[in-house]
Amino acid sequence: MPKSKDSSPSEVQIQKSPAEFFAEHQAIAGFDNLGKSLYTSIRELVENSLDACESANILPEISVHVTEYTQKEFNKVAGLAESPRKNANDQELFQKKTKTPKKPPTEPQLTQETNESSTKKRKTASQDAYFRIVVQDNGCGMEHNAIPHLLGKVLSGSKYGVRQTRGKFGLGAKMALIWSKKSSGQPVRIQTAHRRSGTDIPTHCSVCVLDIDISKNEPIIMEHRKYANKENFIGTRMELLIAGNWTTYRSRIVQYIQQLAIITPYAYLQLDYENISEPQRNLQLQYQRRSEQMPPPAATVKHHPSSVNNIIVQQLIQMTRAKNLVKFLSTELASVSPAMAKRLIGELNEVDEEMDPRELTDAHITRLVQLLKRVEIFKAPDGSCLSPLGEYNLNLGIQFVQKPDLIATARDKPAAFEGHPFLVEAAVSLGGKTMKEGITVVRFANRIPLLFESGADVSTRVANSKIKWSSYKIDFKRDKIGVYVSIVSTKIPFKGTSKEYIGDDATEIQQSVKRAIQSCCQQLKVRLVKRTALKDAKERSNRLRKYIPDVSRSLYGILEGMRKRREEGDIHGDEYTSTASPSKRLRLDPQRSNQMIHKLKSGEMNEALITRALNQAIRDHQPQQDEQIIVAEKATPLFLVPLYNLDDPQYDVLDVLFTFRPIQAILNVVSSTSSPETTH
Amino acid sequence: MSSRKRQTTPAATSQESTTTASSSKRRVVAIAPDADAVLRECRKLRDVMRSSSNETSDKASRVIPEGVPSSIVEVDELKAPEVLEGMESIALDIAQQVLSGKGFSMEIPSRAATNQLYVKEWDRIVLGGKRSSRSFLNVKESRKAAITLRVLQLIHAVLMKRIHITKRDLFYTDVKLFVDQAESDGVLDDVATMVGCTRSNLNVVASDKGLVVGRVQFVEDDDPIDCTRMGVGGKAIPPYIDKIENITSDAEFILLVEKEAAYMRMAEDRFYHRYPCIIITAKGQPDIATRMFLKRLKEELKIPVLGLVDSDPYGLKILSVYMSGSKNMSYDSSSLTTPDIKWLGLRPSDLDRYDLPDQCRLDMTENDIKTGKELLKEDFIQKNPEWMKELEIMVSD
Repeated sequence: MPKSKDSSPSEVQIQKSPAEFFAEHQAIAGFDNLGKSLYTSIRELVENSLDACESANILPEISVHVTEYTQKEFNKVAGLAESPRKNANDQELFQKKTKTPKKPPTEPQLTQETNESSTKKRKTASQDAYFRIVVQDNGCGMEHNAIPHLLGKVLSGSKYGVRQTRGKFGLGAKMALIWSKKSSGQPVRIQTAHRRSGTDIPTHCSVCVLDIDISKNEPIIMEHRKYANKENFIGTRMELLIAGNWTTYRSRIVQYIQQLAIITPYAYLQLDYENISEPQRNLQLQYQRRSEQMPPPAATVKHHPSSVNNIIVQQLIQMTRAKNLVKFLSTELASVSPAMAKRLIGELNEVDEEMDPRELTDAHITRLVQLLKRVEIFKAPDGSCLSPLGEYNLNLGIQFVQKPDLIATARDKPAAFEGHPFLVEAAVSLGGKTMKEGITVVRFANRIPLLFESGADVSTRVANSKIKWSSYKIDFKRDKIGVYVSIVSTKIPFKGTSKEYIGDDATEIQQSVKRAIQSCCQQLKVRLVKRTALKDAKERSNRLRKYIPDVSRSLYGILEGMRKRREEGDIHGDEYTSTASPSKRLRLDPQRSNQMIHKLKSGEMNEALITRALNQAIRDHQPQQDEQIIVAEKATPLFLVPLYNLDDPQYDVLDVLFTFRPIQAILNVVSSTSSPETTH
Repeated sequence: MSSRKRQTTPAATSQESTTTASSSKRRVVAIAPDADAVLRECRKLRDVMRSSSNETSDKASRVIPEGVPSSIVEVDELKAPEVLEGMESIALDIAQQVLSGKGFSMEIPSRAATNQLYVKEWDRIVLGGKRSSRSFLNVKESRKAAITLRVLQLIHAVLMKRIHITKRDLFYTDVKLFVDQAESDGVLDDVATMVGCTRSNLNVVASDKGLVVGRVQFVEDDDPIDCTRMGVGGKAIPPYIDKIENITSDAEFILLVEKEAAYMRMAEDRFYHRYPCIIITAKGQPDIATRMFLKRLKEELKIPVLGLVDSDPYGLKILSVYMSGSKNMSYDSSSLTTPDIKWLGLRPSDLDRYDLPDQCRLDMTENDIKTGKELLKEDFIQKNPEWMKELEIMVSD
């Protein structure tokens, strides 16, 4: 009976508000203006595609095609007839740029273009326009019957339980559909072929043309058919027509694809921009696949007791099959054993172990949540459910996109923030052609780039003020430093409505980021020192050689002077009247000086001879450590994935001399499932 | 409590002399009527100096006192051929090293602060026995080695031509190698210590800095000079000290002035006629030429030297450089220091003794106090308890 009580009001809410709510408050979802709407639409579709590939363990191949249309072209494409104006004389309607309520906001300007001279054309073309976005992937596709539901209904996906996901709101592509509806009125076209794994070729292909009924939050199916897959179509192809602005967000879109290539080196990414009226502005961007190593999919885990709230507990109660409270707590929450559940129940009044969880009142739930938050001895949520990119891939991604001179990566140990596990991976690069001098911070959350509001972000703050760059032999003003921070978590603690940054008040995350960056810097320092030594050795002979002419000339000059003085009979003159004690004074050994003068006279000693001798000396006295340094420099980095959460002694094999602990392959980098780790 | 114990040199000392202005264009300044009384102390000092002058004083002695390491570096006045010979000897040694294919390296007495020691018996700072080597094959030292050799050669040429050049001249001879004048200047002292001669023996001089005016006459490079007839500003002290001879004077004392302004005041007032004296200034920290000139005057004329310096740590420091030498030139302290200069004033203790009004007193700056505290630690200040007392008044509260 509580089920009906709970679900009926929530049902009404979900049915009524979401699509309309987001249509009205689209800035929250990243649709602030035309430029950003274009950017966010592309981004949502691309991330959808990545998910589709990764869920089926397929190496992603994603292409984005953006075509820009002026309104005239758009009308042609959309099949709208160029209606002759009834009031051809009514020019002032457009000159005043009064908004015509039924038409899109961009229309006044675009209408001008159709009427007026071509001088305005460039200006208008660089501004708001219509775009056809086609995103195609090679992922798992969608099941024929589920297509309308998956795309046409906002918040239709269920997200109970926690899992590391890319989306911010669970809106995915749906928001793009709403935007398409809102800005162009055009339906979405989907072509998809469903398959369960990466190897089989789907037998059937579906085509679906969808519109969305915003007030009812329901899809309107305009076309929905299935046909035999003769052309071997794979994946999903989404096509939509939206209003947008390429000029203002071009650099952001390019930056997004570029950073996505860093964090997704196992994907092939392609971006094509086509401008029908101005082909000189076309753009093509391609990132080849660089790695075959795909991170394992993130696992869904139970809620950690310290992360729950009243609503979550209520939802869990609705779903659970547990008949009593002990079972409920120990099966639905992580880190709670039956013994622990009993201890917890013992702390609560009016509640006993055998009670059906559905009989809990709101007050009981509130007290339970308060209790769960207070208990300190729960095992911290572990990071094994997360799917970080891995240092190997991160290294490759950065190497590939930025081509830096030096790069170091690090992964900090998993930790928890507010009951959600998180894991920080970081990389620090030095140099690279496209990099700017100073610190550039590139941020990723759950393996998608964060481009906006970097100033307040925890990674930016740490990189700029918490790292003592100079102690790592890095000049933070003049060196080209790239700082890459990738945070994955079952719940990223975003700040602000747009969810574009992570606040630095999350102390645990801040410290983890700092540790990871410091670890990178430490590695770099070692290599920088070695590199400097190597460079010094190389430059040594050059530097020394530079002074040979000065030395030879000076030395020869003094010797020649001595010879001249001797010839003038000056060398043993009778001017010795100084008070100096003869013993202290530097005296010329007559025999040696005579020999030298003889050599000088005969030409046996000359400047060239000195030069030769010095060159020889430099060649003979190369320091011997050079070879070691070169060997160290040629070495390729080896990436070992640390295994955390190994403190489960359940299957330990005990012996007098050692303990075997069999471990599972937590990441697919570890090939064998039974590779034992020796402890003790 | 903010007591003010610093005061600028009172230019007022000679104010009264203007009363004797005559009608003629050239102002005749007569000897002050109270000269005998004022100079009584001064004459006493002079008499003591002259009577003891025959005895060989400890300070002039070259015998190394007990407790001082025998390895200390002291340079001598050398004649040009001796310097040349020393340089050639160094060059021969280097040539031999080079020809044997080992590059070359030079041993140079270290002039670092840790290698300076104060010898109480001599009352001056000398250079200790530490040596550092400069090797051509060492990347960090090769440039310095090249510069040293180049300076050695340039000075060898200068000495052979029997000319003098300034430090600036030397720098301009090979700007490309030296880059910065500090480089060639620094190496100059290395060359002097290597050869074992004074810096002026290298015929490298600094440009004029010191001024002299008053009752002294001498011959400079065959030109007779009378420092009472050098106009208002006085005569620049020439860097070629060895070209000065036949010093004569009827002065009763030498007045050493720190500030050029005070010097100008007295020169214009022709103070040296009211109280027969020689007035010298080096405009602050003294250069080598002024120090050598002062030493020369005192040794030849045997008259007391009175120091008129600011009543602040810098004034005392300047006085100590005249007396005990500077750390940079410690290898040549024997020819640069003038012992036994009397601190005329104004002393910190005088401020209250003569009840000077607050308006005339300046606060000590933080920097002054810092310098004062450093001076308190120096041996050459500690040997003089009276000075210590005055200095402590300066730095206290």
